[in-house]
Amino acid sequence: MSVKYVPVQWNKNKWYYNFFMVAGVAGFLFLFLYVSPQLLSHEKSINPQVHNARAFGACAFLMLSIILCIGPLARLDKRFLPLLYNRRHFGVMTAFVALTHFGYILDWYFAFSKSSKYETLIFSNTSYGQIVGFPFEAFGLIALVSLLILATTSHDFWLKFLTAPVWKRIHYLIYVAYISVAAHISLGILQDQQNHAFTAIFLVAALTVISLHVIAFLHERKSGDPKAQSDTDGWVRVCEASEIPEARAKIAVLPNGDRVAVFRMDNKLSAISNACAHQNGPLGEGKILRCLVTCPWHGFQYDVRSGRSPAPFTEIIPTYKIAVRDNVVLVDPNANPPGTYVEPVEVPA
Amino acid sequence: MNTAEALVDFVRIWFMIGGVVAAFFLVIGIDRIDEDARGAYVFRPLIVPGILLIWPLVLWRWWVLETGRDNPDARFHPVRSAHGVAAFSMAIIITVTVIIGLSNRQEWPADFEPVRLSAPEGTSQ
Amino acid sequence: MKKDTTPFFVGYLKPAKKLRSFLLAVGVGLALLLTTFGIVIGGTQDDPGYGSFRFDYGPQTVSGVVEMLPYPILHVTDGNERVPAGETLMLTAGGKTGVAQRAARFDGKKVKATGVVLERGALNMLQLRGGKRGLDAIDGEEATAPTPEPLGKWKLAGEICDGKCLAGAMRPGRGLAHKACAALCLIGDIPAVFVSTKPVEGADFLMVLGKDGEALPKAAYDYIAQYISVEGDITRHGNLLVFTIDPGTIEVLE
Repeated sequence: MSVKYVPVQWNKNKWYYNFFMVAGVAGFLFLFLYVSPQLLSHEKSINPQVHNARAFGACAFLMLSIILCIGPLARLDKRFLPLLYNRRHFGVMTAFVALTHFGYILDWYFAFSKSSKYETLIFSNTSYGQIVGFPFEAFGLIALVSLLILATTSHDFWLKFLTAPVWKRIHYLIYVAYISVAAHISLGILQDQQNHAFTAIFLVAALTVISLHVIAFLHERKSGDPKAQSDTDGWVRVCEASEIPEARAKIAVLPNGDRVAVFRMDNKLSAISNACAHQNGPLGEGKILRCLVTCPWHGFQYDVRSGRSPAPFTEIIPTYKIAVRDNVVLVDPNANPPGTYVEPVEVPA
Repeated sequence: MNTAEALVDFVRIWFMIGGVVAAFFLVIGIDRIDEDARGAYVFRPLIVPGILLIWPLVLWRWWVLETGRDNPDARFHPVRSAHGVAAFSMAIIITVTVIIGLSNRQEWPADFEPVRLSAPEGTSQ
Repeated sequence: MKKDTTPFFVGYLKPAKKLRSFLLAVGVGLALLLTTFGIVIGGTQDDPGYGSFRFDYGPQTVSGVVEMLPYPILHVTDGNERVPAGETLMLTAGGKTGVAQRAARFDGKKVKATGVVLERGALNMLQLRGGKRGLDAIDGEEATAPTPEPLGKWKLAGEICDGKCLAGAMRPGRGLAHKACAALCLIGDIPAVFVSTKPVEGADFLMVLGKDGEALPKAAYDYIAQYISVEGDITRHGNLLVFTIDPGTIEVLE
């Protein structure tokens, strides 16, 4: 959104967001680190390094689980969209918590020998051919590297530089990370512990994450955006003009798989790409605020007629030629170059 | 242990190349290919860790943008269809992993009595 | 199309009132949930066992006879209140390193040993100080290690660990989450120990060696920290039992 990049963009909502996030993480860590030792009636206490490693590891797992719930929840219920808004801060914090877990483990289980701790991490346990006793640290490492790539490429610069589709493909690593974390836990601590409280929490969290994703996918398939029907001259039918409410859009999937969003503003229709220039958020699920289409994800705005962000912003998105015939909205599926002005088509209220 | 040394060296070299790429990219490249970065310097250190990790991708994009090969339309093709694959892969792999993990879990064989198979040589039981 | 009544959220604008209370509930709920998990997960951790470094004893100096098994052990001849004569100590250095090389030249000789005791029930270990201050010959004094007493061939069930972490250098110092660390200690020549499900001739912990009396064979490394049954000869050295296992007889238990 910014004309010039800044390290971190802040606003009041992000402060609120981070307040709750930090409160949860601080509450978790405080009770785990400082209160739980008093509850444990062990003759000899657990080593602080192991205790800390467990605290940060369990915290990272739960944070990752919450993060992975946000996407599908926002698809199923739009009220959760604000949780998506500042998800990157949540992700960066998770990466730091996971890194702390790694640090405690590395400096304890893999330190104090004659070899470097990075080498011992690799050669200490090489029982790759078995399930019980498998070097589950390897899965933790895959997850950590994935989380670090996600966290370090979360600045908006990367979105613009790599383009949203490439960036998004990289950020699918979140699924790799979660799968690896699940394997890391299943073959690690779950093999070991006798008290099954964490096992139960792990199972509920993982089950919630995978069910929400599957449900959101099925929901999207059932009530996702309809396909545009082909019409004459290569144009396609999107919907009936009367179906589009004022300041909102109808989305249709074009034959090439792209999506067009047809907006109504002051009873005139305009067609733009459904993909926001920022993170390819679904513009058609957004709303026109003060004459500007506003993305539901991060609030990027565009003039609906030209697909251009208002000055001083410079984002541009493709527009589509549009026509209305017998109340049916037609668009030319060949997108105009980003930022091309198209005269809106007047329709009755 | 030589494999471990080689792997650690590989990572070290990876980061060293990343450092060189970061230096060149943040001093020279970024201003050439992104107008939003011109005159913005404070955010640049934040970009360094990312370059260290994925520098080959940085070099590729730099080259694409520098040589005018960038296809501006490519920005508007979201990868939404991949979610289904990701969701189901995640669901299946995690379920299988957890089942394999928990079903192979060992319990401490607390009831096992040590068995003396034979007496020491030269003695009788 | 059904009418969408959800208030539209824009990140940099104040959310609608209806949405504010929802978000407040979600924020408070998630923070409380995480906090609750903190105490539940933290408060249900397993007991790490009763082994520990006895720094509270202070450095202990005893003398005795070194026996190389090849892991070095010390048969205490002149003890003290904490480490009485007749005790058999496994020896180790600081960190994940054994003292086999340092101790080898004292095999069968009388030495003075100084270090910190690690103790887990009948399992005793001495972490020697560095150099001669930790282990040095006592010239002119003769002593012999007790004659080993063969106890026959046994089949035991339990777990292979490194003696140092198990004795309390780490808590927890056994189990699969600790496997890599145990392997690292064993690679560093720290004495290997077998934890038996039930006492054998009065001992829960036995030093474990390869079939021909060598340090833990590589073939056994994959089974570290797993629950296994294994066969081998048991010999008593002082008050320490030594289990020379045949890795070929290792069976992973269900």
